[in-house]
Amino acid sequence: MEMSLQPQGAVSVLRVGNDRIDAAIAIQFKDRFRDITADVAGPVVLDLGRVTFLDSSGLGAVVAARKLLGPDRALELAALSPAVEKVMQLTRMNTVFPIHDTVADALTAHGVAPAA
Amino acid sequence: MTPEPVTQGDLPPPILGWSQSAIIGATSAEVSRALTGLRGNLIRLGLPEDALIRLELVLAEIMNNVVEHAYAGADSGDMTLEASVHGRAIWCHLRDKGRAMPGGKLPCPRRYDLDAMRMDDLPEGGFGWGLIHDLTQGLSYRRVAEENHVRFRIDLDS
Repeated sequence: MEMSLQPQGAVSVLRVGNDRIDAAIAIQFKDRFRDITADVAGPVVLDLGRVTFLDSSGLGAVVAARKLLGPDRALELAALSPAVEKVMQLTRMNTVFPIHDTVADALTAHGVAPAA
Repeated sequence: MTPEPVTQGDLPPPILGWSQSAIIGATSAEVSRALTGLRGNLIRLGLPEDALIRLELVLAEIMNNVVEHAYAGADSGDMTLEASVHGRAIWCHLRDKGRAMPGGKLPCPRRYDLDAMRMDDLPEGGFGWGLIHDLTQGLSYRRVAEENHVRFRIDLDS
């Protein structure tokens, strides 16, 4: 599971490096997410720009990630590909997660000027 | 409208005529690999992206269901996927030698009222059959000679 964390002001941008979040990788996603966000204080923006496929197991892992952050830290999604967006819509999870077109939009929404 | 069951005799004449048969080991990693390969093949046929998104999602849900339920506790197993493009649809037939579906029929979709849920109660699974039912046409299941047969089609234009 490739995941990297980049602090941008008060926001942490978590970039997923894999092109699929599916049943084969869902548990690794959850474990890696838990480790990488252990010391994060503020909101987390999950950058899904590289992810071209998300199935229900992958979605379950994203929901689990949301719960790991608890009520005091937000989890927002950014840069959804058409396939990922479709799953979010069909399951109505797009009503649960704040979703931004781009990472820059997500940062702007938090009052952080995106790095050039 | 009740979807008509998909049977071999009903197939419209092939337009693109493409078909593929693959034996896939019953692990989530093999399913992942097979779907990546299938997507590549179908993109080369020039099929619409939305249909390929629906196909890949449905196949992932059905095939991982085979891995996790039909072959639960089994040392090994495999499944055979036959996919073909006829008319304006992708026709699929997946069979496996695992355990039968509970009650001999397809599980019902589970629907959640997310608005009424607290964060801690949000579902981390159970979306699969809802997605399968919503995204397919002519979905059917039969248990024949100790094998599970799931058939469906994905209309290119829906």
